[in-house]
Amino acid sequence: MNRPPKIPVELRVNGADHELWVAPERTLLEVLREDLGLTGAKEGCGVGACGTCTVLLAGRPVRSCLTLASEAQGAEILTIEGLAETWPNRAEGELHPVQEAFVAHHGIQCGFCSPGMILTATALLDETPRPTEAAVRHGLSGQVCRCTGYTKIVASVLAAAERLGEGQP
Amino acid sequence: MKPGRVIGQSLPRRDARLKATGEARYTADVSLPFLLHAAVLRSPHPHARITRLDVGPALALPGVKAVVTSADTSGVKWGVFRYTRDQEFLARDVVRYIGEEIAGVAAETEELAREAVARIEVEYELLPAVFDPLSALAPGAPRLHEHSDGNVNIHVPIHVGDVVSALAACDYVHTERTESEEESYFMTEPYAVVAHCDRQGTVEVWMPNASPHTKAKGLANALELPVSKVHVRHVTVGGAFGGRSDLFPGEYIAALLSRKARRPVKLVYTREENSIAVRQGHSMVVQSTFGFRRDGTLVAADITAHMDGGAYSSTGPIATSVPFLCFEQTYRVPHVRYNGYRVYTNKPIRGMIRTHGRAWACNVDMQLDLAAAALGLNPIEIRAKNALRGGEHTPTQSFIPAMASHETIQAVAKASGFREKWGKLPPWRGIGVGCVSVMSGFPMGIRGGSAALVKFDEDGGATVISGVVDNGQGNEGVVLQIAAEALGLPVDQIQLTASDTEVTPIDQGAYSQATTLVSGNAVRLACEDARRQLLELAAEAMEASVEDLDIADGRIFVRGSPSRAMPVARALRTGLLKGKAVLGQGSFGPNVDQTREWITNPRGQLAAAFSYGSAVVEVAVDPETGQVEVQDVWVAHDCGRAINPKEVEGQMEAGVAMGGHGGILLEACRWYQGANLNTGFLDYKVPLAPDMPPIHCTIVESEDPVGPFGAKEGGLSISMCTAQAYTNAIANAIGGFIREFPYTPDRILAAIDNRKTGGS
Repeated sequence: MNRPPKIPVELRVNGADHELWVAPERTLLEVLREDLGLTGAKEGCGVGACGTCTVLLAGRPVRSCLTLASEAQGAEILTIEGLAETWPNRAEGELHPVQEAFVAHHGIQCGFCSPGMILTATALLDETPRPTEAAVRHGLSGQVCRCTGYTKIVASVLAAAERLGEGQP
Repeated sequence: MKPGRVIGQSLPRRDARLKATGEARYTADVSLPFLLHAAVLRSPHPHARITRLDVGPALALPGVKAVVTSADTSGVKWGVFRYTRDQEFLARDVVRYIGEEIAGVAAETEELAREAVARIEVEYELLPAVFDPLSALAPGAPRLHEHSDGNVNIHVPIHVGDVVSALAACDYVHTERTESEEESYFMTEPYAVVAHCDRQGTVEVWMPNASPHTKAKGLANALELPVSKVHVRHVTVGGAFGGRSDLFPGEYIAALLSRKARRPVKLVYTREENSIAVRQGHSMVVQSTFGFRRDGTLVAADITAHMDGGAYSSTGPIATSVPFLCFEQTYRVPHVRYNGYRVYTNKPIRGMIRTHGRAWACNVDMQLDLAAAALGLNPIEIRAKNALRGGEHTPTQSFIPAMASHETIQAVAKASGFREKWGKLPPWRGIGVGCVSVMSGFPMGIRGGSAALVKFDEDGGATVISGVVDNGQGNEGVVLQIAAEALGLPVDQIQLTASDTEVTPIDQGAYSQATTLVSGNAVRLACEDARRQLLELAAEAMEASVEDLDIADGRIFVRGSPSRAMPVARALRTGLLKGKAVLGQGSFGPNVDQTREWITNPRGQLAAAFSYGSAVVEVAVDPETGQVEVQDVWVAHDCGRAINPKEVEGQMEAGVAMGGHGGILLEACRWYQGANLNTGFLDYKVPLAPDMPPIHCTIVESEDPVGPFGAKEGGLSISMCTAQAYTNAIANAIGGFIREFPYTPDRILAAIDNRKTGGS
């Protein structure tokens, strides 16, 4: 098999820098899972249809299975493993409010969609701090959950919005 | 013991923090040192003879460590039952569906394994194939298996009473024929397996599964090992829905490759492989004739189903029976005949999935609406009249100890305002109701019970050891709450070692809605045993009698004088000083008739508990586009006592999505000559967040006499009855039933056109 040579890629993931040599066709998802051991992002379909591989790239949700590792160079990458640390002044063991809301409001069943769902919801609330229920449903429309029927996922996101908005005008 | 300390509290799940942070480990996340990666060569033909198979070119590729084919196997065929052994996990001479396993390759990387698979040389002689059950039964149809009579895989014959005479005496008799395509499971986690055969002759396996002990036994048989040497490990499972139950070729191939290469092997299916090479739902054709008395009393039903089983048996006898069994425990029917045929075709293997066939469940329930219309009743009345109640028997002789059927019907009728709305909605709006009863478990012989242990640490913490498996429905939380209630300890002082077959005693698994009742009772009994031992230790130390003692919040105290107390940890230490460790054990087998058999003797006590669910759905249909807007869904469920109400609600909402919304409006496998054309999320539509309507849940609590703290099955009932309610609501909106599922816009428009032109 003739292969193009590996290329150097510098990735900044959850605040840590990584210098890697990767085959040019490798996806961000493969590199996160296989090279960096960050298995929180899942491969549910490999073609960008299910959303289980979602990570935040410069604050925006992307399908890491459709993103080449080299495309992510230079941008801040946030995976589910790093989300809690982005929340300032948290108590010992406390997670990000979106994560806490999914736990408290039963928004998680089998959990395979949860990392992508939670990161997408976090980006959504970042952009629209007080979304309507319809806006939440629309915002999550790229994320497949087969277990919950979405009711408690939507409730979790709305509860997180409330919590994040506390003390804000 | 009076429940209430922990039972009934909507506690967050123990594993939710792991799942919210990416810490939960699913099979594809498992990594072992020296790991190889595997890929599978699959048949591209629906029916063919293998005339040449040369794996030499694959083996010649550097980095390929092992290849397995049928030449590496004993040739023993596998089946769930002794009489359904029809499948070799690596095809020997003939392949019978597109996707069937022919060879497995283990290599240093997944890419290399796939490259090696592509290099295997196979020549086929194509054989005629058949793709639907009715064609497969026609004279001269291609035969799939030499052992089968025609292509009939399973025939379940049930006849109670005298259907022919009873129908002849009825005031109203009607025949309905319905058809449905296959549903696909689409668990978000694609199937994966990691297997490690080590040099001491034991095998460790990680895989998403709904029954670790059943998997371990099947794998042990296939590998010709004692069960004690096959360790199915605990791993987080990304959904099952009935599609992770029996033994699959994947785990066998991975284990065989590991044994040959002497290294651990990981095999991760693509989404397409998960769709075609694990399980699918049965497509089916169902014909029913129902007879009623003028007052709306159901007297007789004669039902024949032809189910497309695909190429092999899988759980065929169960899958062919369960839709009927749910029906016979839903409505009282003194004369009933069922002929269920599961037929071999050249399509992927079919298993059990949520509604157990839309064409079945919705056919029998639409009969109630048609009769109501003909006899001048409303749909609620006719169901209330015919719903089976606790204290009655089913036709096949199951006694139903308790079932709040009427309460669920009245709950959804009231919450939805059904009676006020019925017949008064504006054009193209509709409302419908559906009802179903689901059993908590069924006879599974020696594998139908569960056992559990509980041990204590010197600091007062307890560890429950149970074979319970959690596929996402929350089973681990269920047994933890049961244990906390029974022990009198806070939940966070209890650990759970679950599902690992090396250390947990036998458990029936999570595929017959039995976990809460059976595993839950085993855990309860183990905890009660441990509690008794603890109280005996404390009684001696406190000079009190055991009967006067109680445990709460980790303290043992004398009832009535709570100041006379000692911490659980001190009682434990007192025992340890005397060489007495507290070790509780419990085992539970449901009181079912073990002589009951799916085909040869389908009578006797089926299950120890029976749940009931009712749903009302209100819809608006757009007559121009055929689009259905579901406005509201009301569901009510008798699940006994709800151990964790929010989690039960989660199961109810889940059922609405999969059985109702997906099952009736969206989901169907599409085919061309045995090739499944829509194996991915892009072209097989599962419900998304904006699709789902508001869901209003009512938990109708009752006290089941057998279930742990009164609990029984929770959730599946809703999946089935919501499918029926969707069907009936759409029929109400457009003024006629559609006989093909799912109700896609084209089918809805065709039905509307038909009605306008006066067609049937």
